[in-house]
Amino acid sequence: MRAFTGVATRGPIGRMLEREGALAFWLLVPTLVLLTLFIAYPFARGVWLSLTNSVVGVPGDFIGLKNFVKLWNDSIFRTAALNTFVYTGVTTVFKLALGLWLALLLNRHFRGKAWVRAFILLPFIIPTVLSTLAWKWMFDPTFSVFNWLFWKLSIINTRINWLGDPDLAMASIMAVNVWRGVPFYAISLLAGLQTINQDLHEAAAIDGANRFQRFWYVTWPLLLPVTMVVVLFSVIQTFADFQLVYVLTGGGPANATHLFATYAYQIGIGTGLLSEGAAISLAMFPALLLVVVFQLWYIRKVENR
Amino acid sequence: MIEGAKWKKWLWFYLPMGMFILGLLFPFYWMLVTTLKPDGELYRPWNHPLYSPFWTSAPTLDHVKSLLLETLFGTWMWNTMLIALVATLISLFCGVIAGYALARLRFRWAGLLGTAIFVTYLVPQTLLFIPLAEIIRDYRIGDTPWALILTYPTFLIPFCTWLMMGYFKTIPKELEECARIDGATRWQAMVYIILPVALPGILSAGIFAFTLSWNEFIYALVFLSSPEQKTVPVGVTSELIRGDVFFWGSLMAGALLGSIPVAFVYSFFVEHYVAGMTGSVKG
Amino acid sequence: MARISRRRFLQLSGGGLAGILASQQAPVFAQQSTVHWIRWNDFVPASDELLRKTILPEASKALGIKINFETVNANDLQPRITSAIQSGAGPDIVMLNNNHPQLYAASVADVSDVAEAVAKAQGGYYKLARSNTHDGKKFISVPWSVIGAQIAYRKSWFEEVGYSKFPETWEQYRDAGKKLKAKGRPIGQTLGHTFGDSPTFSYPYLWSFGGKEVDEKGKLVIDAKETVESVRFMTAFWKEAHDEGGLAWDDSNNNRAFLSGTICATLNGASIYIESLRKPDQYKTDKGAQLKTDILHAPLPRGPAGQFAMHTFHSHVIPAYSKNQKAAKQFLTWMHTPANYEKWFVSQKGFATPPTQQWEKHKMWDEDPVMAPYRVAGRLGLTPGHAGPSDRKAAEALTKYIITDMYAKAIQGGTPEAAVKWAAGELKSIYG
Repeated sequence: MRAFTGVATRGPIGRMLEREGALAFWLLVPTLVLLTLFIAYPFARGVWLSLTNSVVGVPGDFIGLKNFVKLWNDSIFRTAALNTFVYTGVTTVFKLALGLWLALLLNRHFRGKAWVRAFILLPFIIPTVLSTLAWKWMFDPTFSVFNWLFWKLSIINTRINWLGDPDLAMASIMAVNVWRGVPFYAISLLAGLQTINQDLHEAAAIDGANRFQRFWYVTWPLLLPVTMVVVLFSVIQTFADFQLVYVLTGGGPANATHLFATYAYQIGIGTGLLSEGAAISLAMFPALLLVVVFQLWYIRKVENR
Repeated sequence: MIEGAKWKKWLWFYLPMGMFILGLLFPFYWMLVTTLKPDGELYRPWNHPLYSPFWTSAPTLDHVKSLLLETLFGTWMWNTMLIALVATLISLFCGVIAGYALARLRFRWAGLLGTAIFVTYLVPQTLLFIPLAEIIRDYRIGDTPWALILTYPTFLIPFCTWLMMGYFKTIPKELEECARIDGATRWQAMVYIILPVALPGILSAGIFAFTLSWNEFIYALVFLSSPEQKTVPVGVTSELIRGDVFFWGSLMAGALLGSIPVAFVYSFFVEHYVAGMTGSVKG
Repeated sequence: MARISRRRFLQLSGGGLAGILASQQAPVFAQQSTVHWIRWNDFVPASDELLRKTILPEASKALGIKINFETVNANDLQPRITSAIQSGAGPDIVMLNNNHPQLYAASVADVSDVAEAVAKAQGGYYKLARSNTHDGKKFISVPWSVIGAQIAYRKSWFEEVGYSKFPETWEQYRDAGKKLKAKGRPIGQTLGHTFGDSPTFSYPYLWSFGGKEVDEKGKLVIDAKETVESVRFMTAFWKEAHDEGGLAWDDSNNNRAFLSGTICATLNGASIYIESLRKPDQYKTDKGAQLKTDILHAPLPRGPAGQFAMHTFHSHVIPAYSKNQKAAKQFLTWMHTPANYEKWFVSQKGFATPPTQQWEKHKMWDEDPVMAPYRVAGRLGLTPGHAGPSDRKAAEALTKYIITDMYAKAIQGGTPEAAVKWAAGELKSIYG
């Protein structure tokens, strides 16, 4: 145990740092400075930008809510908004279901468990754009390996237009998102499962509960807190997703797979209409806030049960 | 284990597990095969009689060579490593001390600031990138690694903070109190007693933050423009897509090689990574 | 980027230049100006190689300027210059497509001195070159080249279905395409968000039916029965004769599809043919002959209102943030002198047509009859925003792919009228 020099080291600064409040302040200053400079300030600036008619190179004038009105009447924006909600909702359901299933499978003891657990996290670890590029090649209109497989199995005899048909393209981006997210759900839920006391399961089994009932009445309620937090993180990330759609479809075909983020990029950076792009980005915020508030309320409700 | 007949074990365990593993890992195998396939084989259409997607009879390192020699891939690797490391260090520093303050010290604003840090998570990068580009220009760090080194902590710090908060909370208060009785200042108690105990947590947070930095895309895409400044994700997606010329071989080589550092680091620290990920979820 | 003091620069460009040229040696001095030049990844890779290996080192020696040459995917040029202008730093010379310079008119330098000099020396610019790069008061961009777009098609396959000459009307093209699609060889066309093949197809197609965005007076006339008719025809034409994956194609998918024998015809620059010349033994017909012997070029078919064309246009802007504007202009002037430009032009093998009239007489055009149609591309093309000028509003409409999307939307479902109404709404919010 380290010996501490006593009173001699307490100069004026030392004394000040003894006060919890002062120490806390100084410990938090670096974080607060960074977050203010690079989140709060840009956010405010983004709000201002969305209320002007600025384009690249031209600061523009204040025009109030005109950008938002324009967006409201823009059918592509409405499509992007709908897509984002559908994309987030559907993928979350699948990620949760498949993640849970995988977690339950991983919760058993089997040879090679450590290896499997390590390998299956790869889709989540590898930079998204790189793995999405592999998917893009797998979906290629002329050279798709899936088309080949289904053709060989005589399921199809003309090409499936994975990225060219608007509905299939949506399904494709959702599939890749689920592929990427399942490991995160699985590993997190696995950790949650491992904190559940096995005695509870045994007690329930003795009481005559079958496997399904044991899951529904014992496992699931105890897993709920972890589940809700995982879902919360995942929903925020998925809602604001950019990389996956940018690489896979670029928002196409004909704007059919745009999300808020990709449309904001196309209008703001691609076309140079910065203020409109900022408005599209900001449109994400109310929805995000609502989703998060709802989830937090639900988490609190669950925790207080 | 699943009790009962062997076929049950196969149906309920081995089969689903096998399918998961296949589904999750196949794209990486695909990346590997495409990297090694010569162009002639690569561009046979899907219904060509000789189409052989899953292996190649004449593996070649041409794509890897062209990636390493004809593009700035090495530079991008260096840039990404540098940015990820420095951003992680900054975030760990801020996150650890902020986490300690919020978990251990009592002061009036604790609750509010904790919530404020959480709220910043609600402001994703895709919301901020347009105004932030202007700010980067005003601070004159556009097209330099600093544009990313200073902005990445914005999404790494909240995460590090929560993780560390969780860890600090599990360390018994007695440890600190003993040290203070022995004459240590709060600062000394924190640095010499608490931090060493929290080291696993710090490592976990660091690994997770490192992989998150590698995965960032939109800031790198918008704030950097010179090819020498680019990071691997941006470089691979922008510089390897050439007009009408065939490129998938080098692209997949880029994707594969670009994934290796992260996978490598991850492989050494799997336990810590998982602990970091789950700790943040539980904390 | 290294800075050079004004005095030093004047010394250089004045007596220094003559001295350097005389001694054939690059001057050795502590600071050298650098010009960062960004272009697309050329669809004729040989030209980029020529630039890197031969032309740019020569320029460096002759001008004492270090040239930092970068190429990116053409669809990334716009985001690139937007980010660069936004962050206040980036390339010194940026190549842009079509009338995109108009979108950045407020952020680029006045290059009238360079452009006017080239026009005067080389017989004047084509109309389309001038309208894309002039904002009414000055040149905002220096014209570089016109990428002629023609339909590349498989001669033998069209002969098999009864067309020894390429179809001259849309009805004939549709008929041929239908027959060929039945044999597994559809027409391949992109209607995706890609700068080259999509607009060069959708705009002239619209015009050939009599539709247009605006009239000569600038009034919005897109919502007309000619437009609706063109959309109706396209929807049927697409489903009967086209590879339906084309909705997701970019500018390279049709090249790959054509070269691997999955489509019979596609509108493209000459890059398909040039690629087949580059590797004659890799690209074969299914009878084993070299593919290059089976490729011919033809203009787009005629519609009720005539035959039209739009060609991809390239020019160079010098952004206002650049600290090397003088050097950049020097370089562009040097690059456009006939002796230097000619080297680049010949390496393109006719893929690019120069923006000035005098090059039509160049002997390169006589070498390969398959490339003959591209000679007059500059003269015959129209510009986006027809019949109005190719200005900022036309550029915005082009960059938002409104016309292309109008057709893509109708193909995906809905009535032609709805698609046209949508396009009219989008155009109205631009044109006012």
